[in-house]
Amino acid sequence: MKISEEELRKITLTAINELGDKASPELVRNIVSSAVDKLGAETELPKTENSVIVDRAILTSFGLNRPGVIARISNLLADAGCDLRDVSQKIMDDFYTLIMIVDLASSKYQLKELSERLEKVASEMNVKIFLQHENLFRQMHRI
Amino acid sequence: MNYEFDEILDTIKMTEIEHFDIRTVTLGISLRDCVDRNLEVSKQKVYDKIIKYGKNHVKFAKEVEDRYGISIANKRISITPISIPFDSFNRYEFIEMAKTLDKAAEDVGVDYLAGFSALVQKGFTKGERELIEAIPFALAETKRICSSINVGSTKAGINMDAVLKVAELIKKTAELTKDQDSIGCAKFVVFTNVPEDNPFVAGAFHGVTEPEVVLNVGISGPGVVLDAIKSVGGADLQTLSEVIKKTIFKITRAGELIGREVAAKHGIPFGIVDISLAPTPAEGDSIGDILKAMGVEDVGAHGTTAALAMLNDAVKKAGLMASSSVGGLSGAFIPVSEDQGMIDAVKRGNLSIEKLEAMTSVCSVGLDMIAVPGDTPASTLAGIIADEAAIGLINDKTTAVRVIPAYGKKVGDVVDYGGLLGLAPVMAVREISSANFVNRGGKIPAPTRSLTN
Repeated sequence: MKISEEELRKITLTAINELGDKASPELVRNIVSSAVDKLGAETELPKTENSVIVDRAILTSFGLNRPGVIARISNLLADAGCDLRDVSQKIMDDFYTLIMIVDLASSKYQLKELSERLEKVASEMNVKIFLQHENLFRQMHRI
Repeated sequence: MNYEFDEILDTIKMTEIEHFDIRTVTLGISLRDCVDRNLEVSKQKVYDKIIKYGKNHVKFAKEVEDRYGISIANKRISITPISIPFDSFNRYEFIEMAKTLDKAAEDVGVDYLAGFSALVQKGFTKGERELIEAIPFALAETKRICSSINVGSTKAGINMDAVLKVAELIKKTAELTKDQDSIGCAKFVVFTNVPEDNPFVAGAFHGVTEPEVVLNVGISGPGVVLDAIKSVGGADLQTLSEVIKKTIFKITRAGELIGREVAAKHGIPFGIVDISLAPTPAEGDSIGDILKAMGVEDVGAHGTTAALAMLNDAVKKAGLMASSSVGGLSGAFIPVSEDQGMIDAVKRGNLSIEKLEAMTSVCSVGLDMIAVPGDTPASTLAGIIADEAAIGLINDKTTAVRVIPAYGKKVGDVVDYGGLLGLAPVMAVREISSANFVNRGGKIPAPTRSLTN
């Protein structure tokens, strides 16, 4: 939401009136700017070049293959409401590598929070888990 | 799956093992509308404008970092060359403005703000003369301000009077910051054919041809390129060139994506990607090591210039394919103090200033972060600067000098800044004099190739 100069002036004058004796330039400035910030629009999801909103992430995980690793990751994603679009894994002797394409459209959590929750699982099970937005891979690996 | 298993692991390898990061996102802000008759009002306008556009810069960068799991090493700000909007200032007013800029940078949370600059290739205005006198004090009395002067261009020739003044400026700055290993000189660059959209400090500024505000991104990735080169073993030079190009393509794409997203968060135009391979002192992040992996025994061996030429060219070609918005310097950087491989080559006695000068004719920066003895006369510094300027002038490329005459130090000593600025062993310069040549003053005229109409 954009606020015009005129509206900003009116807000400032109202703030000064309300504060009365307590009004000081600094106090008024702080109050008005924090109000403007709070009213600011939420950051929108950036659109891709094809103007399609894509909200998928790539989860990569690897480490020592132990029972329950893949189950725990999948459960966490399921509990969060994420949709698994593709799963691929390789197990070689003692090590596993797991790659999932995760649809975040109906996820309860933002990517960052999801990533932090996965990080907890990673440190408990002593494996690595990375969650990154799909755009990065598309840009790097496709002409 | 839309992607090959290996492609995904390739990306993870780059960021986790090969130190791939976005080197900088630089917010360029025009200060052209901040002029006022009253100095205090000018300062307030400048401060307010930087806060207005810059206050979320660090925050937005962090949000994009989290989304992609790629770290953005530095968040910086560049401004209109300060001499342009404030040409009516005297030196004291410029110094005060530097302090205001420093405070604004601190309050916004960036580590460097660059653009305390002037372009004097055809001559000086009154304000530019005053700025040149102010720069040593401004650099000594602030922490975050970076400064540059452009002394030559292929269209205009080289302003030798400016070269002399700049040499004296550098000496003065070294003296004023002598208690910190002459660190002021590490924040000052003298250019020829300067680009107006370079996001890398210390030479960044927001050119007058740029819009109100813009976001430029500087990427890097010597570690990634090094691994790619090692993977081809002893293959021929064309194969090596292809491998380097493919690697740089991916890096450039990643960098542009990140840059565009930070710009989108700000709600401002995206400017350019600068695809320079820029080293840091961290292990595995060295251009010197890349040159050695290409096959020279050490940086400075015969063949180094050829290897660097090929590397620089591969970087540019890949960048052009990956992005339609390539700008800035875009090539390989060879700053001595910021590259462990270069530092070691100098310490071993394999790399001299003369070899570095030859290398600058094929790569993108110049004589960068080079420490020389503190008693080097200004006329010799002027000779070094003039040599670099001539390379840029005749070859229609950017060249620069960031030289540190380390006060009180001689060959065998080091200057150590820690952090990103690194450590530089003091290098020898020729002791024979350049004075009679540089003291002639005047201009070296524009070369024939400037007549392109």
